[in-house]
Amino acid sequence: MKRAVAPVISILAVALIASGCSAAPAPTSTTPVSGGTLVYASGDAEPDCLDPHVGGNYPQALVATQYLESLVSKNTAGDIIPWLATTWSESSDGLSWDFTLKKNVKFTDGTALTPDAIAANVAHVQDPATGSSTGYLALQKVTAVTAVSADVVRFTLSTPDSALLDSLSQPWLAIESATALKRSQAVNCEWPVGTGPFVVKKWTHQQSISLVRNDDYTSPPADAAHTGRAYLKAIDWRFLPDSASRYAALQAGTVDVIDNVQPDTLVAAKKSNDLVAIDAPRPGASNRIELNSSIAPFDDAKVREAFIRSADVNDAVKSLFFGTAKRSYSPLSSVEKAGFSDPSLFDYDQKAAARLLDEAGWSTKNADGYRTKGGAVLEVSFPVSTNQSIPAEQSLFEQLQATSKQAGFKVDLEPLDLSSWYGALGKNQYNLVSAPYTKVGPDVLRILFDSAGTIPAPSGYFANHSQVKDPALDALLEKAAVSSDEAERLSLYKRAQQIVLKGFYILPLYDQQNHYLHRSLVKGLRAMPTVSTPTMYDSWLSR
Amino acid sequence: MALPVAALPGAGRRRRWAPWALLRAGGVAFVLWAVATVAFFAIRLIPGDPAEAVLGGPGSQASAAALAQARADYGLDQPLFVQYLLYLGRMLRGDLGTSYALKRPVIAVVGENLGGTLVLAVVALIVAAMIALALAAWSAQGGRAASAVSWVLEVVAAAVPHFWLAISLILLFSTTLGWLPPVSVPGPLGLVLPVLTLALPLSGFLAQVMRESILDAMGSPFVLAARARGEGPGGVFWRHALRHAAIPAIGLAGWAFGSLISGAVVVETIFARPGLGRSLLSAVQQRDVPLVLGVVLVVALGYMLVTTLTDFADRLVDPRLRAR
Amino acid sequence: MRRILPWIGVGALLFLLLAALAPGLLAPADPLAIHPAQSFRAPSVGHLFGTDESGRDIYTRIIHGAGASLLIGVSATAIGVGLALVFGLLAGLGPRWLDFGTTRFLEVLFAFPGLLLALLFIVVYGPGVVTSTIAVGLATAPGYARIIRSRVLVVRRAPYLESATVLGRGWWFLLWQHVLPNVAGSLFVLVTLGIGQSIVWASSLSYLGLGAVPPAAEWGAMLSAGRTYLASSWWMTFFPGLFILISAVATTLVGRGLQERSRRP
Repeated sequence: MKRAVAPVISILAVALIASGCSAAPAPTSTTPVSGGTLVYASGDAEPDCLDPHVGGNYPQALVATQYLESLVSKNTAGDIIPWLATTWSESSDGLSWDFTLKKNVKFTDGTALTPDAIAANVAHVQDPATGSSTGYLALQKVTAVTAVSADVVRFTLSTPDSALLDSLSQPWLAIESATALKRSQAVNCEWPVGTGPFVVKKWTHQQSISLVRNDDYTSPPADAAHTGRAYLKAIDWRFLPDSASRYAALQAGTVDVIDNVQPDTLVAAKKSNDLVAIDAPRPGASNRIELNSSIAPFDDAKVREAFIRSADVNDAVKSLFFGTAKRSYSPLSSVEKAGFSDPSLFDYDQKAAARLLDEAGWSTKNADGYRTKGGAVLEVSFPVSTNQSIPAEQSLFEQLQATSKQAGFKVDLEPLDLSSWYGALGKNQYNLVSAPYTKVGPDVLRILFDSAGTIPAPSGYFANHSQVKDPALDALLEKAAVSSDEAERLSLYKRAQQIVLKGFYILPLYDQQNHYLHRSLVKGLRAMPTVSTPTMYDSWLSR
Repeated sequence: MALPVAALPGAGRRRRWAPWALLRAGGVAFVLWAVATVAFFAIRLIPGDPAEAVLGGPGSQASAAALAQARADYGLDQPLFVQYLLYLGRMLRGDLGTSYALKRPVIAVVGENLGGTLVLAVVALIVAAMIALALAAWSAQGGRAASAVSWVLEVVAAAVPHFWLAISLILLFSTTLGWLPPVSVPGPLGLVLPVLTLALPLSGFLAQVMRESILDAMGSPFVLAARARGEGPGGVFWRHALRHAAIPAIGLAGWAFGSLISGAVVVETIFARPGLGRSLLSAVQQRDVPLVLGVVLVVALGYMLVTTLTDFADRLVDPRLRAR
Repeated sequence: MRRILPWIGVGALLFLLLAALAPGLLAPADPLAIHPAQSFRAPSVGHLFGTDESGRDIYTRIIHGAGASLLIGVSATAIGVGLALVFGLLAGLGPRWLDFGTTRFLEVLFAFPGLLLALLFIVVYGPGVVTSTIAVGLATAPGYARIIRSRVLVVRRAPYLESATVLGRGWWFLLWQHVLPNVAGSLFVLVTLGIGQSIVWASSLSYLGLGAVPPAAEWGAMLSAGRTYLASSWWMTFFPGLFILISAVATTLVGRGLQERSRRP
């Protein structure tokens, strides 16, 4: 056995050494250099389809940002800025919008950016055969798209839509070549054609996407750092699902940029001169736990409040995120100007929780310390999507499970694959759930809390997981959606958020975490202020 | 198998090959049919609507129209026996269905990933055989101490889980020493750690088997006879004992194939190396039934080929078998 | 050296058994109790193996996890050997056609090598502790069955069994008095070797996210959770892995010791 111990001890020693290593700083330069291949390692799922019109999820948005462009974009102040459209105007009744397109923009298949191309894109997203969900929902009010002149396109709406520009800035509504869209979906998924700074060369499934520079590129968004073609010659976009491998590969220099960085890794990276972190919280909703108010026991507001009071979120966030995530008290991301917070509703208070449970009739405890009422145990099921919650978040749920146990809640954490997780939601077999939702602008509130959101769409999906059915809230959200008065909108959204928070329908945790880490030799990398995807257009390598 | 099996007497070789080949071919066909049948009925055991399972499980949110379409496409509205025949018919045409997670034909996904796993497995097998050979030779010739050391190494090597070994190797060679990439990159450098992870445990098993038969052989009459003829100890070892040791080691090849495939699931996942193992795991995690079945069928085919080849090699190495 | 090693294995197994049966004796604390303020502590006198992301003591969790991990290993082996015994006896003792049928069936199962049968089972019945245990048992059964069958055939052809048959003893009598006792020796070795392997397999499944799930203090699940923090907190991965290794090495040492003893005249 003595000899068997020796290798074990050497591994231990190696591990000890490994925990404290750093490297010399790279030489710096400030003039952009052209050329080189950047290696990006994504921890997000590999998309099914590279055309973000189809379905429409974040992994698609991440990579599509490199080769597709939208009509408008956003700057860091949150204002809409020109991209493929240079100017736009809304009619006085709010029912039609005119966009003037940038001149001399060509898709990478050689066809021109015209009003008809825009119309073809909207038609593609609205065609049920495309199977769009994110883009489809965002364009529901658009009834027609027509060419007004050679470079002006008109959107006609059924009702005014204050969220239209926000919606159009998203990668899920990026503009593709009309000629390319006519190909079969399978082909378009492999080689989507846009106007972006890079072109999809080859997608090696389950491995990587090879992107090469578009040498004729002319259409950067208004906030880009330079004009003309990109500096990088190519991007090797790899899929590395394991977070530890991803970080190790970055440290070893095998890759240049990684996403989905874990909190402990961020802290470790801060000590290195070699690595630079970018914190780009996603817009739309905050990360939150939704309490299903349609079934017992959370159909009782007192029980909902008791759960929220008994969950020690702050200590958990502190221990698991090392200060890389800020606690949220709002249904909206901190990126959203309309976000409203009320920390006073979320104080950790076991006594209050106990009192509330007593009042709600859950006054007896069983041998295990769980509350009971008429023989039933206060048991709540919490399906967790292992694809959507990072490990630190899953640990956070475990800690909340432990603290709410003190109040007498029996929380059943059920880690599920995405398909089974959707299944559990569809059957209304959950009491707690945490589902991310990314969308530009506060209109996400309407998707998440309007009572219409409790009825499953034909696709089976519904977004109102707390199952709030409040006519007053519905009215506020609808009014905000058609209002073009910025101040009125903000006040309406604030009132809506107050209703949601005071009803204890959600337990806000933090912004949707979105950290990138890159080697310091990568310069000029930034996250788009729209949905926080990284753009490599301004990036260059000082190798 | 990278063992010296060539240069053998060829007398009487032709005669009994034909019935052997026929029997083996029949065996392969039977097992493949049985595996396909097991796989077919396994899907039917999944609770819920099989049409839903085809489209992606309970979370697929499939519309009624899509379900009806899937039922018609896969003949799910037909009696079970008819469905089974349809399924076998598709198999024979090489149609393994469509992966619902990747939305691509299973046969294409398997084809893309087969090469990576084959390279990994073959290189690992060669490396493992070389390590095992070195260990076995050393302990067979080096006396008690060498024998004890290699015994311990064999035990530990055989008991180390792949994932644990992979993590330790990454910590040592990538994070600490910075010699090798922690994830699989194209080229031979990216192959080193995955191959070592697979080869080390395998070499433990192989070395054990080989050592025992080498020891047997070294004490057997034919070795004594060779010694008596005046051959040196080295010559005896390489020419006689080793061939004797190769027979049980070759017999392990089928098992080694299984061990390599199981290991590939873990290794390809940890090193982010594209291959059948990684596809299989992600398919299992997403309950992508068509892809899982496709990989299972291909692996079963591979297993049958390997055992047939080992049977063939056995007959080459061991003339006694041919007489039977 | 080779005489002592099996006894070291026995010692390690006894320690693990004690941990499994009376974890409170070795680690009095609650393995699930969280202390967020004490998360990610490196090994020290207070926390022998350090703490995890929720401030739970890893030593406590490993000791309390011994029961779950060993139980999975033992149950999986029991399932595997149990099935194998049925197949092996049917093939070895039954009429020729039964032997033929069973052997072909085993050949088919062999064509699902290694983890494959386990993964197929998990796809059908979904992941979890119970399914992964059964899956490992199923996956190991064909190998055991083949060995048992060959042992049974050896016993069956032995002269003493022929004389017993001639004496007109019943089938059950032969099974109990002659076949099982003769198979038992090699069976015991198989089981001992198998438990270690089953623990490794089951922990691999947990590591891949298909077995036990957090916050359960099962070694594979702990290791899987710790993997995320490998860059900063190596102890979360190292110690659970060490115990998987120890239990596998210990059972292998004991099994091999038994094997060599049974070979000695």
